Amino acid sequence: MPTGLFHTTYEDDEKIFHTLWVKIWMGGLIFFLFAGLPFVASPLSSFFGFSVQHMANMIGIFIIGAHGLNLLTGCTGQISLGHGAFMGVGAFTSAILFMKAGWPFWFSLPAAGLVTAGVGMIFGIPSLRLRGLYLAIATMAAQFIIDYAMRNWTSLTGGSGGLNVDRPSIFGFALDTDLRYYYLILVVVILSTIFLKNLLRTKTGRAMVAIRDRYLSAEIMGVNLFKYRLLAFGISSFYVGVAGGLFAHYNLVVSDEHFTMWLSIQYLAMVIIGGLGHVLGGIFGTIFMVLLPELLRIPTEVLSNTYPNIFAIFGTLRELVFGLVIILFLIFEPDGLAARWHTIRAYWKLWPFSY
Amino acid sequence: MKRMKISQWVFVVLLVSGMAFWGCAKKEAEPIKVGGIFDITGATSGVGKDYAQGAKDAERYINENGGVNGRKIQLIANDYAYKIPEAVNLYKQYKDVDKVFVIQGWGTGDTNALKQQVNNDKIVYISASYDSNLDDPSKTPYNFYVGTSYSDAIRLAMKFVKDSFKKMFPDAGDRAPRVVFIYPDHPYGKAPIPAGKAMAKELGIEVGPDEIVGLRAIDATSQLLHMKEFDPDWAWVGGTTPSTSVVVKDAAKLNLRTKFISNVWGFDENIIKLAGDAGNDRIYGMAPFAFWGEDVPGMKPAMEEANKVTPGASYTKCYIQGWTAMMVMWEGLKRADKAGQLNGPGLKAALETMKNFDTGGLTAPITFTPTDHRPNTALRIFKMSDNKLVPVEGVSIEREDRFLGW
Repeated sequence: MPTGLFHTTYEDDEKIFHTLWVKIWMGGLIFFLFAGLPFVASPLSSFFGFSVQHMANMIGIFIIGAHGLNLLTGCTGQISLGHGAFMGVGAFTSAILFMKAGWPFWFSLPAAGLVTAGVGMIFGIPSLRLRGLYLAIATMAAQFIIDYAMRNWTSLTGGSGGLNVDRPSIFGFALDTDLRYYYLILVVVILSTIFLKNLLRTKTGRAMVAIRDRYLSAEIMGVNLFKYRLLAFGISSFYVGVAGGLFAHYNLVVSDEHFTMWLSIQYLAMVIIGGLGHVLGGIFGTIFMVLLPELLRIPTEVLSNTYPNIFAIFGTLRELVFGLVIILFLIFEPDGLAARWHTIRAYWKLWPFSY
Repeated sequence: MKRMKISQWVFVVLLVSGMAFWGCAKKEAEPIKVGGIFDITGATSGVGKDYAQGAKDAERYINENGGVNGRKIQLIANDYAYKIPEAVNLYKQYKDVDKVFVIQGWGTGDTNALKQQVNNDKIVYISASYDSNLDDPSKTPYNFYVGTSYSDAIRLAMKFVKDSFKKMFPDAGDRAPRVVFIYPDHPYGKAPIPAGKAMAKELGIEVGPDEIVGLRAIDATSQLLHMKEFDPDWAWVGGTTPSTSVVVKDAAKLNLRTKFISNVWGFDENIIKLAGDAGNDRIYGMAPFAFWGEDVPGMKPAMEEANKVTPGASYTKCYIQGWTAMMVMWEGLKRADKAGQLNGPGLKAALETMKNFDTGGLTAPITFTPTDHRPNTALRIFKMSDNKLVPVEGVSIEREDRFLGW
């Protein structure tokens, strides 16, 4: 009897769930997310002091976007500093189609993804010639151009005041509460995660990884660099566009201020902290980046109630600690939270006979 | 080696759960909770810090002076760094966890972003943004603010430019005054510009091309050089005090003859320090609020309260703005409580009964009605002269229906 997992075929090695236990855990997790979280959200909220339901929704939305950027940066090796703006394109597309053109939500959301994919591919064209820092600057240009368009194309985007968006209803079921909207987000998150995981196991995904690892070798092996880079930009932007569409209808208002350079950098931070190139990385990184500032607020809130006269200082402290924690994470876990997760899992799997 | 890393993890988990413990330890009493969304670290922190301090000190003052008919209030103050998503997070927290029915908010961008939700959730939202988009109750019934609106301020500025033109520029002859608008590309900066341009047109003022100077600008030379081609007599500056002083200093460096007139957030005591000699007789400001230490009845409690915790404290008029917002809310809460309606709609109705409410001279008397949320339409114009802020004149504009909501 073999002690451990032995893969004898390639198919076996590429399985998503290697053992029955993983399947059970995963099933349990999904069951909890669907049925359990709504019940614990309210007590957890009063425990932590922030709205857990809202945070879950935000995490869900940003996981989709982080998956997108992870595919582009983590798997294909193309850096993008324009994903914040791409999310804005998705948000405005869905908002305009839904509110002004009267499209049903079912069409406006995918349309948001498609339009964003188109925009992303246009700005991805420089990736044929540029890489590394140069590509970062080229995509940063996208950020500035789109930012400017969102702010000044007043007839379409409402200018700096932004656009008001309504919550949609699906098949007559109004998604008017945060909880109802949560289920929509959850379904999209699961679908997008499955798609990304599977994409990485296909020819396309392997071509992308080959480009990341050494584009010259990939080209010699017959990988069409331009095609796959552009494809990566397209799919990645589609993801982030859908995230933008979901965000627009959740937030009830979209304006250029949501989609600044800062958001692009946050997206990068999410995938780097989570783990570049790991599907889990996007998830862990997003949870970390969304929750950390909220958790850091708790001590500052308590301290500012105790010392009201110097509470202004504690506000600054929070930003400081936020930066510090990120630096420490990058020093002690440069491979991201996903790698840490694998280490921990391996540790417990072999416990107590680790060697 | 591996073990040590695990122990690091345990440390992180402990830290997080420790903070969570803290979080639940803070829930105890039964005060009326008030959400606070302030900017302490962000782009407008130059004026936001004092505002937040004023609001926080006002909370203590209110509780020491009987609270809301005996009940204390608790201002949950948080910094949102002038970022809209942060403000939305805080809003959800106040709504879902703290279950507040009144919020003291800050910026134009975030207040506008939240106005629809505030309306749906029936939460009274008192903002430090005096954006006129928020004063039409048929559109934004739950938004309130306590100072003369930005749009009325810019209209008054245009009137002032027109009326004082002959006196201030005697050698201009019969030509029309020329004005340029300088503002950050930001909801706060852009909000009053249409009103200003419409008013300028009405008064026959020539308007030059707009210039964009950001809130965090450290240099405005290129914008001012461009402005110089038009050679305006006046320039409206719609920034905060730090960015306004950058504009003024660069104008002095370039030796421009243009005078500057600033919106409420760009003109406070700090301008003396930040602009220095460059500001003298160059910068004018709209002042809907009393300055720190001014001799008005409402100033005394504010200064005493500030000195109680920080002896010898000296703040800017932004402190007074935060203080006033809390005082108006206090009055509203007291009236709502008397009517037995201590909730969002009750507070809204109570605030709308305010007629010429006297803030002790901190700002012009405040009136809200169910059809008009403009608090007042009068302010004073100040200028900087001899490194002091001196009043030029008090001005007011008719409460005309055609100016409601923009």
